[in-house]
Amino acid sequence: MKTTQNWVKQINIDLTRCKGCKTCVNACFVDVLRWDEDQKKPVVAYPEDCVWCLACEAACPAECIEVVPVIPAPLRSSYY
Amino acid sequence: MAIDDLTEVVSTDVLIIGGGIGGLVTAVKAKEANPDIDVLVVEKQTAGWAGKATKIGGILAFLGPDKKEDKFLDFQVRNSGFYLNDQDLLIKYLKSTFQAIEDFQNWGAKLARTPDGKLVSIPTFYAPELSSTFIDIDLMLPIRARARKLGTKFLDKIHVVELLKSDNKIIGAVGFNIVTGQFYVFKAKATVLANGSCGYKVRRFWVAGTGDGIAAAYRAGAEMRNAEYGNLYGHTVWKDTDSGMVGYQYLVNAKGENLAKKYLPNEGPTGVFLPVPLAIGLEKEIAEGRGPIYYAPPPGNQGYNKEGLPKITAWTRRMAEKEMKYGLPPGTRREIEVPLHGETSCVKVDHEMRTSLEGLWAIGDTSYAGSAVAGAVCSPPGIVPGSGIMFAVISAAWAGPSAAHYAAGTDFGKDLSAQGIKDIQESILQPLKRSKGIPPGDVIAALQEVTAPIKFNLRRSRERLNQALAVIENLKNQLPELQAKDFHYLSKCHEVNSMVLCAELTYRAALMREESRGSHYREDFPQRNDKDWLKWIIIKQQNGKMSLSTQSVPIEKYQIKPEVQQK
Repeated sequence: MKTTQNWVKQINIDLTRCKGCKTCVNACFVDVLRWDEDQKKPVVAYPEDCVWCLACEAACPAECIEVVPVIPAPLRSSYY
Repeated sequence: MAIDDLTEVVSTDVLIIGGGIGGLVTAVKAKEANPDIDVLVVEKQTAGWAGKATKIGGILAFLGPDKKEDKFLDFQVRNSGFYLNDQDLLIKYLKSTFQAIEDFQNWGAKLARTPDGKLVSIPTFYAPELSSTFIDIDLMLPIRARARKLGTKFLDKIHVVELLKSDNKIIGAVGFNIVTGQFYVFKAKATVLANGSCGYKVRRFWVAGTGDGIAAAYRAGAEMRNAEYGNLYGHTVWKDTDSGMVGYQYLVNAKGENLAKKYLPNEGPTGVFLPVPLAIGLEKEIAEGRGPIYYAPPPGNQGYNKEGLPKITAWTRRMAEKEMKYGLPPGTRREIEVPLHGETSCVKVDHEMRTSLEGLWAIGDTSYAGSAVAGAVCSPPGIVPGSGIMFAVISAAWAGPSAAHYAAGTDFGKDLSAQGIKDIQESILQPLKRSKGIPPGDVIAALQEVTAPIKFNLRRSRERLNQALAVIENLKNQLPELQAKDFHYLSKCHEVNSMVLCAELTYRAALMREESRGSHYREDFPQRNDKDWLKWIIIKQQNGKMSLSTQSVPIEKYQIKPEVQQK
């Protein structure tokens, strides 16, 4: 059976530069990033749901997030 | 309600489900109408960041203060809505557009400005009298701040699954926290659905639209309208990234033939959204081996100028750099795809966005098609861009005060029994209790097989609609086997339930409408038939079954009528 494919290869967060502001977690509109309450740092929990909207990257004040997309994208064609 | 410790009961006068642009504006408008009522926004992700409006910024189409609505009304009804509009509502909408622009400015959202500080206002393609401006990508945060300042409460990361009904009235909703699993019962005097349309997770920036509110409303017994118009193939995009939106006038096949000239020989350009004959033409080009489709604009062709919007400019640059770094090798000719948007938005509402159920409102992309404001097109309507955010904001400005007024004059409904709530909870948590089962991603992929292709959703016929419905019936049989490994995936299981239902609503209505009109095209009934089909298709659940009926469009009382009314 077919299943959905990932839109991103990788999401890298440089936790040594992360300031722990949680903005990236709030910015994610599909629950890819979660918050580690003990470490006070973000966790890439569900990369399979990331669609590289880049809201987290753009919102991060420390610029410590990098989303690596899958190109060509797994876009379901309308032609067939 | 005496329920076990695992359930938290929260009471509010007005419950708003969805913290995207529409939900936030509903909260602001409800509190402004009556500061004494409690307003709670419940959002599956994070209010102010959720939904679609923050993804690419936005175009806002409006009528300037010195403009009258007559010319645009005539244009829209004749060329885009094809007489399926609620014309009175369209007039009400057009009269409200400039207020929405002023509201954005008052809330502190950034609109595009000329170097001397004036609002950018450009003519909207071929739509008479309409102007467009642009809004920055962070438009929702100042509105969330405004809602909070007025006393609105927020609960994030909660997926609302079902509405609660007692004595034929909506009395709140139930849901769970997608991180902790905490189960919630929301008791509300008035409930507003503001959680978007359904796009079947085909497109990148539209994956959050899974039709949860539409499905909950249907299951609670609300009427649906214009469900067949949930088939938007609006954008011509780069296939390798699902980004960009290139002009369809310059599409060519592998032989270099211009396809707009080939498939739209007698038409001038009508707008930015892809016309139905051209979409079907692209499918034919591929099927007959003349693909791929490319974009070949004349030299010097420019897109939108969004100067003066710093966030969207920075985001656009970031996106371009990303595509450059990880994209196809330089010099690769990029193919064009016309992916399904979907935009099923069929909750039927009146002029205050009240649904057919007492105590329930639906706004924005939950009820765009269902409001009939745009007629025989998907939301955003076929020809004119700039209505998605605008309809969310304007419908919110109608629903907020209406819900606030209602809530102030009513009591909390009669509670459901503790056992009744427990049964709902049990049913919602089922996928989590299975150690084996079908992962939601499998059903999504299978559903896309019959929702995404043009041959099912745009070039419709009785035979292919029945084929699609057979697949959907099969998927419905699999839904009780969905398995979730945690609360994130439990949320996805319920999204899948919603999407399968939205697809069925779309295809059942499409099968019933035996004519072609707007974005509903039937190969077996290729003509518009005003004699039999100046009607809206209404769907509601009756005795557990999907029941379809029609309601005549009251064309005799409307300003714009078909030129030759067939008798």
